[in-house]
Amino acid sequence: MDTLDYIVLGIAAVFQGPELFSLFGLPVSVTLVMIVFGFLSGIVVGATPGLAGPVAMAIALPILISTFGYTPDALLPVMGFLIGVMKGATVGGAVPAILFNTPGTPDAFMTTLDGYPMTRKGQARKALRVAHFSSVSGDTFSDVVLIVCAPFLALLVEGYLDLPEKTALLILSLSFIAAVIGGSPAKGLISVGLGLLAVFIGTGEDFYPRLSFGTEELSRGFPIATAILGILIVSAVFKELEELWREKRASGVIAPVAETGDQRLRFADIRALFPYIARSSVIGTAIGALPGIGSTLAATLGYTVGRSRYEKTKTDGDTEFGKGAPEGVAATEAANSSVSGANLIPVLSLGIPGNAAAVFLILAAESIGGFNPGPSVFRFTSDTVNPELVIAFGLFTSMFIANALNWTVGGLFMRSMGVMIRVPKQILLPIVLLLTLTAIYVQETRMVAIWFTLGFGVVGYFMRSVGISPLPFVIAFILGGKLEETARQAFAATGGDPFFLFNHPIALVFMVLSAAVIVFTTRKSREPG
Amino acid sequence: MNRFVTAALAAVFSGMMAVSAIAADWTPPGPIKLMIAFRAGGGADTQARLIAEALASKLGWKFIPEQVTGKGGLNMAAALKDQPNDGTAIGMGVTETFGYNMAAAPNAGLKPSDFTGLTTTAGFQMGVVSLASKGWNSFDDVVAAAKGGEQLRFGVMSPRLADLAYLLGKAQGIDFNIVSVKGGKAVMDGVNAGDLDLGFMAGIQAKGVAAGDLVNLASALSTPLTQTPDAPTFADLGVEYDSDGYFVFVGPAGMPADARDALASAIAEVAADEASKAGGIIKKAFGGAATITGDELTALLEAGYSSAGQLMEVASQ
Repeated sequence: MDTLDYIVLGIAAVFQGPELFSLFGLPVSVTLVMIVFGFLSGIVVGATPGLAGPVAMAIALPILISTFGYTPDALLPVMGFLIGVMKGATVGGAVPAILFNTPGTPDAFMTTLDGYPMTRKGQARKALRVAHFSSVSGDTFSDVVLIVCAPFLALLVEGYLDLPEKTALLILSLSFIAAVIGGSPAKGLISVGLGLLAVFIGTGEDFYPRLSFGTEELSRGFPIATAILGILIVSAVFKELEELWREKRASGVIAPVAETGDQRLRFADIRALFPYIARSSVIGTAIGALPGIGSTLAATLGYTVGRSRYEKTKTDGDTEFGKGAPEGVAATEAANSSVSGANLIPVLSLGIPGNAAAVFLILAAESIGGFNPGPSVFRFTSDTVNPELVIAFGLFTSMFIANALNWTVGGLFMRSMGVMIRVPKQILLPIVLLLTLTAIYVQETRMVAIWFTLGFGVVGYFMRSVGISPLPFVIAFILGGKLEETARQAFAATGGDPFFLFNHPIALVFMVLSAAVIVFTTRKSREPG
Repeated sequence: MNRFVTAALAAVFSGMMAVSAIAADWTPPGPIKLMIAFRAGGGADTQARLIAEALASKLGWKFIPEQVTGKGGLNMAAALKDQPNDGTAIGMGVTETFGYNMAAAPNAGLKPSDFTGLTTTAGFQMGVVSLASKGWNSFDDVVAAAKGGEQLRFGVMSPRLADLAYLLGKAQGIDFNIVSVKGGKAVMDGVNAGDLDLGFMAGIQAKGVAAGDLVNLASALSTPLTQTPDAPTFADLGVEYDSDGYFVFVGPAGMPADARDALASAIAEVAADEASKAGGIIKKAFGGAATITGDELTALLEAGYSSAGQLMEVASQ
């Protein structure tokens, strides 16, 4: 078994999986159909204001698992669907940002800055085309990097990082997230702290369930789905409902805008956009490859770098950034989309998720079993087949199929999503809430999980109200257990050295960086402007 | 009709009922919730899911597998305890959960008598394992390395095994850095990745040992390992305790006999059937099924619980 054999096996696993039906005599595998379905629903969901890929993944996961079961055969169809959703939602997410000025995800926020002004100038369809082209280019680039680098990066990471270094890397990830996502480092740290507090309830090594006040409900800790869906989705629904209520008190009507000028994306446009797309793709991919760091940062950085370059090169007649420049849309969309492929590098090689979509991929793998994201995935065994590696290459194949769909039908389908504007939010939001709570109950089958979710929703609502980003909370919740485990192991493995984080050079570098990133961003955010 | 006849008729009638209940094959009154005390994707989890899958296709019983992990199986036990005892809720753990772990956590308020033992499926093939590339061929090489000043990391997946690793080091006059991880798969990952030097593996090592990547240095059982019969047992190495144990299916206390028997025999049958997927992996990892059921299993669980204190006492010295 060499690398090529594994690639062939992976591709075969996707195309020759259980047959669903045959088309003109050719068998069509379930996995293929699931990728297409996932992709189309991803675009619809991404294009729906207030919904994003993770919601669809959360709702779909229990349904998929109960349909396909818990056998390793279920892995590729289920994860193929999720990958389809992830890809579809990434391009679809630009739709509400551009058309209605409502970003479906924090990543798409930067898209509104130039996308919505373009819509108001009557260039909505052109903006959508720019977004689609940039997004798919970034995504494809990032997938190529993933496939070429993931196995080597995984081995490299394992070779150099011992337990103390891994502990320090997790601390660095958390500190980085706190510093760059939370608006201000202090707010980010609060968010991370709350996330850690929540995940430490009921967990740990000891037989005694800590922080549970002796209650049976808390003794098993909070299920991961209740925390993620509660903090990310239920709180967003609460917040949106509040805004609707305010809007109703001072309601205004948006006048329809007539389209003017050339809506097509010409080759000259592509040539002008290309440097922005290329730069943002590299930024997005690099950030995506770091464990535990999400796409919002990539979008922000891509936009910022694009803007400073634009300032230097623009001529007098050009539209400014923030006033409807296609370059702004391109820079953001390429950056946030190129995260998604590279994000799977830490997921597959370390089991550390970088964004919410990756979280659901891990959740799917854990629920079904037979595939454990982590260093063991990329062991190229020569005498026996490593089934996990075959699955990994199957996933890569699925990603390329989704990319092909994206290049071909994605743009057309995405632009047809403009009809979404007609669904009123006061109808959409309760449906989202109901679907979320149903998804939780299906997964946990105990009523207390619903209360946990609503509780997290309230916490998230207050966090959003005072401008604390809920994303660091969620990422801290996901990494907290791993952090404690690794730290305990590092402590034991070093023979009970309490300074294990500072006695190893690489770990020390990570710890210094963790402190530096907080100090640096605090200073920067104090500067005017 | 005199009283004797009435009694006789009643006896015959109830006898018939009992016979017909068995003949009609007990069927679960609803889908069976299967609480698995192991992390998703590990060897034990796979075993549990494959058994459920086999029973579903063979008998048409519907299973809902659910991960209830943590606290060495006590979370699963606590969750299972208050479930209906009509056979619609069962759990899979290890005998250690009902012995050492329950005894070590008196606050949890759990005893083996809170549960109905259904059947064991396989005994551990608990070995002390290291990478072949380490160059150790026997446990003596490990002792020599430690005495040569090398700090050795010993991976364990439960407090009882941590006690045993400590006693092993003590008996051999060396100190291990005992690292506790979650599950045998995590020990194997750690050993493979070089984070751990050696560790306990309960059967998961079979493939690696056969391939020559891993070495069984010692048997942590009272008997030699099936795969490496030459490796010394813990008794040979001066430890008077061992890690003998089984994977076990249980239900809440007071499960009716027909449900208990039907579940136990169905599970045991699948585990012992080497042609089935579940039986196949049991054969490969544990050298074959070991099914203990009924009163014998009840006695086994009780004995594990009552003898746990002694090991804790010795290891705390």
